[in-house]
Amino acid sequence: MSELSSALANLEEEKVARIIKQELGTGKDSMGVLTELRKGMDEVGQRYKKGEYFLSELIVSGEIFKDAMKVLEPTLKKDGGGPATKVVIGTVKGDIHNIGKDIVATLLKGVGFEVYDLGIDVPVKAFVDKVVETKATIVGMSGLLTPSFESMKETVDALKEAGLRNKVKVIIGGGVVTELVQRHTGADAFTDDAMEGVEIIKKWSAKSN
Amino acid sequence: MIKETMTPEQRVMAALRLERYDRVPVIPIIGQFATRQYKLSRKIKDLDTWQSIEAIRENFDSLGGYDGKIVAGLAWPISTWRTNAPKGKRVLPGEKGISEEFSVQYDEQTTMTVEDYDKIINKGWNAFCEEYFPRVTGLSLEEIERRNKELLDIYLKDAVYWKQRNIPIIAGALVVSCEMTLSLARTFPQFTMDLHRMPDKVQAALEAMVPDFIDNVLRDTKASGVPWVHISLERGSGAYYNLKTYERFFFPQLKKIVDAMVDNGIYCWLHMDTDWTLNLPYLRHLPAKKCICNTDSITDIFKAGEVLKGHMCVMGDVPPSLTKLGTKDEVVQYCEKLIDVLGKEGFILCSGCEVPIDARFENVRAMMDTARNYYPHR
Ligand code: B12
Repeated sequence: MSELSSALANLEEEKVARIIKQELGTGKDSMGVLTELRKGMDEVGQRYKKGEYFLSELIVSGEIFKDAMKVLEPTLKKDGGGPATKVVIGTVKGDIHNIGKDIVATLLKGVGFEVYDLGIDVPVKAFVDKVVETKATIVGMSGLLTPSFESMKETVDALKEAGLRNKVKVIIGGGVVTELVQRHTGADAFTDDAMEGVEIIKKWSAKSN
Repeated sequence: MIKETMTPEQRVMAALRLERYDRVPVIPIIGQFATRQYKLSRKIKDLDTWQSIEAIRENFDSLGGYDGKIVAGLAWPISTWRTNAPKGKRVLPGEKGISEEFSVQYDEQTTMTVEDYDKIINKGWNAFCEEYFPRVTGLSLEEIERRNKELLDIYLKDAVYWKQRNIPIIAGALVVSCEMTLSLARTFPQFTMDLHRMPDKVQAALEAMVPDFIDNVLRDTKASGVPWVHISLERGSGAYYNLKTYERFFFPQLKKIVDAMVDNGIYCWLHMDTDWTLNLPYLRHLPAKKCICNTDSITDIFKAGEVLKGHMCVMGDVPPSLTKLGTKDEVVQYCEKLIDVLGKEGFILCSGCEVPIDARFENVRAMMDTARNYYPHR
């Protein structure tokens, strides 16, 4: 692992900022820097899987990554990384909880997905429209309250009606979603763990590519 | 039905003390669910505190009763303001374009700055609150005190009602743990960053909060006359933070608070939402037979039973997804399993946190009935 990748994996905020500044200053292209950051994020995921890291470390690494992206983004070429899998994500209609959803969105970006984050209280139609517009193949829905299960179901139904259901994989997440909720909503997977969700989405993406 | 030989109060105290009871006590956490059941057309935001209290009383009877009461109404009125920090904005169903079908929600926003840590460290929690609460709520201290007094009066009146019905109240004060208070005030991601960036400062603030938290709870339990404190522990679990962090920042403060309560004859109801499976062994360092470990269906409750055997009563954990989406038979099956494995002694059957607003009535009723009818350990 490069110094930058391991600085990120070790959650060394200042060191990451310093190395990025150095590398960009000496003419390294931002895509190369981003690749190193992604390796660091992958390592964070590995450590989480091994039980060395917890959600708090995912949050910290995500914040460091977000800050780094602010520096890199202006100079990143749009088509730099080749075709990335597109994920549409949002907190479902009626539900205004953003924290869990934001964590997942950052982690997905960190490992290289193209993420369209629709925010909170997202109308059913907005999910469908975004899938049509972007041709995303994965939809992630977040919700913390039991009435949100109905919004999740309505969204899956609307994807069906729009003829998109067999073109997208749907994952639901949030503190109290269970297999029962997955069955009720017609989603393909459920999780109450951000990293597990990222792993599932990675597998789907690998299969479809 | 099992022949009952104990009053609800005796049953609950037997559970707490890990002594034999005539059957497993059942105490669901019910607020919004009752208001939804009561006069279906009524919208939550139109129900005032007294109406919600009436709804809860009516719901209590339609469920055939249960063994303990949490608090009056939807508003958790017992907590004085200092033990329950403002946590962003409350959004009610029907507000901000949110459907009437939804439940109450919080819009978690930063209400506390990094500089505020220093104020807490230098002045203590209560003195900090005198500036913090008016700043966040836009209300004067006098108005905050007035509203608080009003809620306490409502609580005391409702308490008389339950006393007359011989139903014990098991929350005479409500306190949110030190770390959860800061986590809600800073927001969860920001508090996590603070712990990473300025651990010593956060630790000092957490430690500085403890003496005032203890005083506040003692004052509240005295005012309510109920020797029980409900301690909300939701943001410090091993699902979120490693055990080194838990040991250094969170558990010491909890232990100080619980020890002080027990020294003063107060029982602690530890309300532990999210996954606490990794943290369970620490609870053995709290005083024996004085606390309840109440989990919300995310912690492995069977593991809790194993780890805390002979030391602490376990309370839980019928999942919200089950009471909303499951069948009556599935609910009965789950409750019977809880009673089979955990119910011999030291167990209270409870919903996993609050009974969802849109739970099926027959499912919630089935939970109560199972406690009344099923006790294979006689
Ligand atoms: C802290 C908390 C609060 C705080 C407020 C927090 C907030 N911002 O809203 C307080 C104490 C104020 C509170 C109040 C209430 N709460 Co509350 N609360 C919680 C608690 C303990 C943790 C929520 C949290 O902060 N999670 C932190 C984030 C990071 O976790 P997360 O959102 O689950 O996201 C993670 C994963 O789920 C996943 N994920 C999330 N979304 C997605 C999406 C995708 C695509 C993927 C892949 C993954 C993924 O990744 C994240 C990181 O791992 C939960 C319990 C629980 N088990 O979830 C109850 C819970 C949400 N609350 C609940 C309730 C009922 C309430 C109240 C209505 C109670 C009342 N009567 O007043 C109120 C208001 C509702 C509300 N929460 O806004 C219920 C809701 C379910 C239900 N019964 O309807 C819960 C689930 C408790 C329970 N078991 O019943 N609550």
